[in-house]
Amino acid sequence: MLKFACIAASALTFTVGSVHAAGPKAEVIHWWTSGGESAAVKTLADAYTNAGGVWVDTAIALGEQARSVAVNRILGGNPPTAAQFNTSKQFLDLVEQGMLNPIDNVAQQQGWDKLLPETVLSVVRVKGHYYAAPVNIHMPTWIWYSKAAFKQAGIGAEPKTVDELFAVLDKLRAAGLVPLAHGGQPWQDNIVFTAVLANVGGTELYLKVLRDKDRQAIEGEAFKKVLLSFKRLQSYTDKGSPGRNWNDATSMLIAGKAGVQIMGDWAKGEFAQAHQSPGKDFGCIAGFGAKSPYIIQGDVFVFPKTSDPQAIKAQQLLAGVMLAPVTQVAFSNKKGSIPVRTDVDVSSMDLCAQQGLAIMKDKSRHLGNGEIYMSPDQNGALTDILTAYWNKNQPVEKVQKDIAAALKN
Amino acid sequence: MTAPRSWWKVRPGHFSAGVALLPLALIVLVAYVGTVLWTLRVSLTNARTFPSDVYVGLAQYERLFQNERWLLSLNNLALYGLLFISLSIALGLLLAVFIDQKVRGEGLLRTVFLYPYAMSFVATGLVWQWLLNPELGLQNAVQALGFAGVQFDWIVDQDKVMYTIVLATVWQASGFVMALLLAGLRSIDAQIWNAARIDGIPTWQVYVFIVLPMLGESIATVFVLLLTATVKLFDAVVSMTQGGPGNASEVPAKFIMDHLFGRANLALASAGSVVLLLTVLALVAPLLYARSRYHRRGERL
Amino acid sequence: MSGRIPVARWGIYFFLLGAALFFLLPAYVMLVTSLKSMDEIRLGRIFALPGLLTAEPWISAWSGACTGLNCEGIRGGFWNSVAIAIPSTVLPILLGALNGYALSFWRPRGSQTLFAVLMAGAFIPAQVMMYPLIQILAALGIFGSLVGIVLVHTIFSMPVMTLLFRNYYVSIPTELFHAARIDGGGFYRIFFELVLPMSVPIVTVAAIMQITGVWNDYILGLVFAGREHLPMTVQLNNIINTTTGTRLYNVNMAATILTSLVPLAVYFASGRWFVRGITAGALKG
Repeated sequence: MLKFACIAASALTFTVGSVHAAGPKAEVIHWWTSGGESAAVKTLADAYTNAGGVWVDTAIALGEQARSVAVNRILGGNPPTAAQFNTSKQFLDLVEQGMLNPIDNVAQQQGWDKLLPETVLSVVRVKGHYYAAPVNIHMPTWIWYSKAAFKQAGIGAEPKTVDELFAVLDKLRAAGLVPLAHGGQPWQDNIVFTAVLANVGGTELYLKVLRDKDRQAIEGEAFKKVLLSFKRLQSYTDKGSPGRNWNDATSMLIAGKAGVQIMGDWAKGEFAQAHQSPGKDFGCIAGFGAKSPYIIQGDVFVFPKTSDPQAIKAQQLLAGVMLAPVTQVAFSNKKGSIPVRTDVDVSSMDLCAQQGLAIMKDKSRHLGNGEIYMSPDQNGALTDILTAYWNKNQPVEKVQKDIAAALKN
Repeated sequence: MTAPRSWWKVRPGHFSAGVALLPLALIVLVAYVGTVLWTLRVSLTNARTFPSDVYVGLAQYERLFQNERWLLSLNNLALYGLLFISLSIALGLLLAVFIDQKVRGEGLLRTVFLYPYAMSFVATGLVWQWLLNPELGLQNAVQALGFAGVQFDWIVDQDKVMYTIVLATVWQASGFVMALLLAGLRSIDAQIWNAARIDGIPTWQVYVFIVLPMLGESIATVFVLLLTATVKLFDAVVSMTQGGPGNASEVPAKFIMDHLFGRANLALASAGSVVLLLTVLALVAPLLYARSRYHRRGERL
Repeated sequence: MSGRIPVARWGIYFFLLGAALFFLLPAYVMLVTSLKSMDEIRLGRIFALPGLLTAEPWISAWSGACTGLNCEGIRGGFWNSVAIAIPSTVLPILLGALNGYALSFWRPRGSQTLFAVLMAGAFIPAQVMMYPLIQILAALGIFGSLVGIVLVHTIFSMPVMTLLFRNYYVSIPTELFHAARIDGGGFYRIFFELVLPMSVPIVTVAAIMQITGVWNDYILGLVFAGREHLPMTVQLNNIINTTTGTRLYNVNMAATILTSLVPLAVYFASGRWFVRGITAGALKG
């Protein structure tokens, strides 16, 4: 009897003990450091903890910095369990050097091939293997406008075409407001260009230029028109625009001093902080025309190579958790993005997100951001040319030639 | 002068000195020389995120010198260096000399001039951006006071933006220059002043003809320190202008950093580093050589 | 200087106070911004005094601001920064003084070449030396440790520290040195009994430089210190920098001022060593 009790007791202790034992530990490097971003990453951490894991947070501000630390740590033999990258070709070198663990099991189990947009799959899946877990979709080229500024300038309805947009900008200028609130930083200039290429040039030209790098298309008339429209927008910015942070440009809309800003969906966070809501204080336009493309950008996590079974377990658990429907909605709600899965309940998301999701249902409107089609180096070279053109008067033919040369590499 | 030394007759003091310098020699060889050689090697390859073994000869250097942004960055650095170094030394020297005059509240003043040096440019750069922004900063404030015609929009002007970087970095550095020169001033024998007074030499002449030459080494130190700061100029540009408007305030260190991290182009960044280093050495080596000859004339031991 | 004409005296104060105004202008904007609410800051009036004074940004900066998943402000890294800063100041200063002394008074064979190469090394940006150093430290097994970051700081400060001390010693008259040698002093004896005591002003300057550089260092600490020893600057950068997040300028300014208090305290305390006469006494007789 006593012997049986002892065996039972030790068996019970063993079970209880293993429940208390720490789950798979995952050190995650990411660059989400501001208040809103912190709340967003918390949804991921909570989901992982609820699934039994232990989240060790290593946040490093600025994407470039965080990515380079991740690479340095991999080189130094002390890799993190997971590291954040963008939905792009940024981690292609890592894949080619064999420095990442694939997560094929998770991808197959959750059916990523059916669940995720093809644009996202095109960078996440390399040679049949899956190397990154995408967590969201950001749209960088929303057109925001301040309802107060519109009212002051006597603008009744939001613009529905590019020409109407220019008319609106003219009206804003006449009313003494800043028509286009812009931060003169290279990445923001790139966003404006992407918006113009998508809306003025159209999906086909967009792909020809950025994905196919077709010289004829780049040096052609249609692209010339795109560049000229791009340059024309610059005349609607104010003198203090060079160097300005994007938040300060959004502040101008919030204060009703400026009318329009072209910026990503993360701008919603800035409006929310000032207690402004979509539809009431500001409006959001995804693009012009019934078939306007929805530009896809986003964040993914990659899993540095390791043979430690505990670490591999953590990586698989992490990848699975990040793509889970509940996590997807919770994360995107806090982040201002939309889920990367198409099959989730999105009734809790805000007006602009709902608009985005509705557009995403139409596969023909999916279009990747430049970094999905170009290497970081090419994207950077293109940005250099765009930002020079935005700030200096140059003949548009020269710009076309420069872009063709830069993308040839 | 002593008799010519033969290499096998090493005196005990010199031996100890040699041994004491060994850690330094090791660091220099492995960390510095080794790194430069490694960087040189990488610049001859097609490395992207990681070092590669595919050699492409001077292709990266060709690409470098066809790059408008790089060429502009070199130009900017030359202009910047000239202004930054001369203004920092001038202001630092004036501050040091004036503070040395038994001024009341010296401790407080010294801290006021030194505190910019204590602050990282990540935040102070933003403040300068605000101050120099025509809509937000000084131009706006002065115009609001009634002086409608006053313009101070250098920071959004492609031709004048580098001057704003000079302004902000001189603000940060001259306090430290002052501290260094003050230490030098304070180590000058007080007898000099007494002697000069007895001889009836006006104070300003004492400074220009006696003190300044004695500060020679301190000023040389300051010059080299400011030169290294010039070559490494990065934080100020990133936080004030992000290299803008357009690429107008681009500097080599930022070009290198952008290509190292953002563009995942290790080889091009390495080529840029090599060119930068060689350019600086080409300028500085003649100076150092001249100074070492000057010292050899006053050989000790 | 006794016997000054009052006019010149006024001139000195005028210049110094004018300079002080120039130096203090950004500090004023920083301070004022750090005491405002974001709503006020959004109005864009950078010189205006706070309409509604609030100390909340300061509290947040120290203990509440988000730096990633954790929202505990910058205080977490404070002791790490101290643990890195102290050895990274003492060691380089000692080595710099020793090296400068050997290079200026003794000049063993080959030392001038060594110095020249060292000076060339001062112009290499840290990021360029990153990859090779990572490999070296990893091979030594100290990548991501306190020892590693102190070693890295020492390596990077060798050119400047050596330069500072060498140039300072070179301008000291050699008679003292010769006298000490005649008295029978060896390498180390002369260093500890003669040279170090008269180095107080330059050690002060070196300490100011090194403490500031190490305390404000971000990139080296980020890469080489390892997760458990990340300095305060990492949290500071996480608070200030963001790509697509909202920016709380008041908290950023407060955090920057808080971080700079340590070097500032060092500057203020160093005052007593900027006193005239330390070396004057040693030079007599």
